[in-house]
Amino acid sequence: MRFLMTTKGGSRTPDAEMMAEMGAFIEEMTRTGVLLATGGLEPGGLRMISSGGEITVTDGPFTEAKEAIVSFALIEARSREEAVELARRFWKIVGDGEGSIQQVFGPEDAPGGGPR
Amino acid sequence: MTSLDSHRVVDAVWKMESARIVAGLVRMIGDVGLAEELAQDAVLAALEQWPEAGVPDNPGAWLMAVAKRRAVDHLRREERRDRGQELLARDLATRPDEGERDVDEVVDALDGEVGDDVLRLMFVSCHPVLSTEARVALTLRLIGGLRTDEIARAFLVSESAVAQRIVRAKRALADANVPFEVPSGPERAARMSSVLEVVYLVFNEGYSATAGDDLMRPSLCLEALRLGRVLAELAPDEAEVHGLVALMELQQSRSAARTGPSGEPVVLHEQNRGRWDPLLIRRGFAALLRARQAGGPLGPYVLQAAIAACHARAATPEETDWPQIAALYEALVRVLPTPVVQLNRAVALAMAHGPRAGLTLVDALTGEPALKGYHLLPAVRGDMLARLGRHDEARTEFERAASLTRNTAERAVLLRRAATCAQEAQDAAREAREAREAREGREGREAREGREAREGREAREGRNEAAEAGVGRDEVAEAGATGGDVTLGRAMTLFLTRPGLSADTVRSYNQTLTRLCRHLGEDVPLRDVTSHRVAEVFAATWGTAAGATWNRHRAALRSFAAWAAERGWAAAGLAAPLDRRPEPRGRIRPIDRSLLESLWQRPDLPPRERTLWLLLYESAAPAEWALSLNVDDLDLPGMRGEVKARGHWLRWQSGTAALLPLLVGDRRRGPLFLADRRPGPGRRPAAADLCPHTGRGRLSYERAEYLFKRATAELDPEGGGYTLHRLRHSRLAHLGEDGWSAPMLMSLSGHASARTLHGFVRVPRPADTVA
Repeated sequence: MRFLMTTKGGSRTPDAEMMAEMGAFIEEMTRTGVLLATGGLEPGGLRMISSGGEITVTDGPFTEAKEAIVSFALIEARSREEAVELARRFWKIVGDGEGSIQQVFGPEDAPGGGPR
Repeated sequence: MTSLDSHRVVDAVWKMESARIVAGLVRMIGDVGLAEELAQDAVLAALEQWPEAGVPDNPGAWLMAVAKRRAVDHLRREERRDRGQELLARDLATRPDEGERDVDEVVDALDGEVGDDVLRLMFVSCHPVLSTEARVALTLRLIGGLRTDEIARAFLVSESAVAQRIVRAKRALADANVPFEVPSGPERAARMSSVLEVVYLVFNEGYSATAGDDLMRPSLCLEALRLGRVLAELAPDEAEVHGLVALMELQQSRSAARTGPSGEPVVLHEQNRGRWDPLLIRRGFAALLRARQAGGPLGPYVLQAAIAACHARAATPEETDWPQIAALYEALVRVLPTPVVQLNRAVALAMAHGPRAGLTLVDALTGEPALKGYHLLPAVRGDMLARLGRHDEARTEFERAASLTRNTAERAVLLRRAATCAQEAQDAAREAREAREAREGREGREAREGREAREGREAREGRNEAAEAGVGRDEVAEAGATGGDVTLGRAMTLFLTRPGLSADTVRSYNQTLTRLCRHLGEDVPLRDVTSHRVAEVFAATWGTAAGATWNRHRAALRSFAAWAAERGWAAAGLAAPLDRRPEPRGRIRPIDRSLLESLWQRPDLPPRERTLWLLLYESAAPAEWALSLNVDDLDLPGMRGEVKARGHWLRWQSGTAALLPLLVGDRRRGPLFLADRRPGPGRRPAAADLCPHTGRGRLSYERAEYLFKRATAELDPEGGGYTLHRLRHSRLAHLGEDGWSAPMLMSLSGHASARTLHGFVRVPRPADTVA
């Protein structure tokens, strides 16, 4: 099962110690195959709206900074509980903050995806 | 932690930590069985305490601490027993702390090299004193943290069998006094390959599980990948470990593409490469790179991974670097000279240098006892023969392969290929015959050209051609009797009673000519029959038939026309306006009426299926149109429904009309045909595809197709079951046989042009119009 973990803005700015700890954690998770992809996101970015066949690209407006998603990690776990446990380790390093875990549906989750 | 069941949390944490915990305990107390029991005690403690006290902050460390405490208790008990009561009493009086100190030292040491302990544990659980089955079960249990019931489900055996296997394995390890260590020297390589073998076995068990009745089996692939990655981390200098990981990542990257909508296997070169997982491919490449960096001679896993990487690099099957793959198989055969590898090498050779190159090698393998009963050998041989145009031999091979495979979906694919070969062989034979007849006709004409004038003169003179031998005599006698105006019926009889025609040819030609007679009249003089009239009969009779049928009748007519023209009885070019039609691959043959009758008669059909299938048959409409119908689109008294997206009315007959009210029930709106289940949260369909009464989604094309195939599998001589598309076309073919004209069929079926009706062009799969 794949899960997308995202964190919102507003948590403390990382210091050198935390960076090192996080680096080691990411390295371990990548090596063991749990972490598929991860990265930090620019604040804001571009906003796109598609409406009635018309597509508009604007520089804003965006939700307030502490609501915006600032980083993500795509992980492979055996269960939701395992994903939570991995996220728990992540938050131990980061400290205060807020984020979410969402399952990423694959072909096996499609209705009628195979004979049942 | 609110929404999570604490039992499941314990299970998840246990799965993540079990290898480290058990490995650490084995190092403390030396016995795998005991270590596992103690670790299970810790799990039990967690199950008791976490629901009450809440899940601890660091659940992994909590389990580890409890397990260690249990181990220490155990060591103390052992110590006491060994020393005996008296000794112990004295010891306790004089040196009360010694026992504790020993244990502390062990525990301290334990915190050090946990990773190495896990590696040791892997070597122990894959020890050669154990049977392969026991190695697999023990590894999944100890390293993977799987429960006995999970292993049992994954391997389709009973839970007690797995439990037995594990108990016996632990005892065998204790009896053999297997040391808790990573072997060194030459033994290391052999033991390492045993570990790799177990991991790959687990992977293959999951990979070959296409039945999909239990998700536990496919998840074995992920478990094997995890084991492989852990191993790669612990033994980073072993090229083969990285090779195995690369191989598994690359194979797993195709998991979404390797089965079709109804679970049938899709072979590599037919897979939709857009569904390959780029993340896993990238990781496969990275692991392969690490394998190369580790150096050493190329082992079997690295070579197999390199082959898989060649496939992964090709964006389309045509871009596959087959010469490179053939070269890699060449190298693989040297380190892994098994017949199966040889067979794969033959496939690569055939792709790189043509089927003949591969066939030579495959032929050499046919006597191989290890491949006796291996369905892929005849399947591969059949493929090469087919590519060489040896369709009859190819068909036999595909049929043999079908009889050998245990997988039903695969069997259907093989039987379909056999049927295609049979058809190709028939076509080839017919074309050869046509060519021969045309040649003979030409030769005959040339030979007779000089004679023709004389024949005509002699006939006019009323001279009996007694001197002419055999057939000619009769013909000319008949011609003479009718004064040169041979009727269609008479010509037909003469044509069909020529000597040297096989019974099959006579039967086939007879069908064509009888139709012609029925439309044009037996007594019409052949001379008066125009090519235009013949073309009309053909269009009316076989205009809607499959290309192959059309071509068969056309060939019969051409043969007859040439024969008649030669005798001067018919205008030349009688068959000229009739074009040969394409015979698309996988051409659609109608389902026999009697089979369909028996299907409608079946008492156990669910109402939805019965209605849908009868509607499709009666309306001859595309399945996606029928599935797109909403309850409010129906005009029940008018026996029709509007396909809004197409602005077309779909018309049915009394069979459907009787069933529809039952299916609709009290529903007023929403999709007519509903899925069995409510849609999952991740796949919320559009509101238009949801039933406002039941919350269920619209029945999908894929599902409907699957249901029909499943229900008709036993009717289908090929075993795979029929498609909905074929059901529709069966109706058109049956109506065509009943004398419906092309325009009538078009108005019924919604085919846009007569051309599409003629050629039986496959209707493209709807791009997820529903579900």
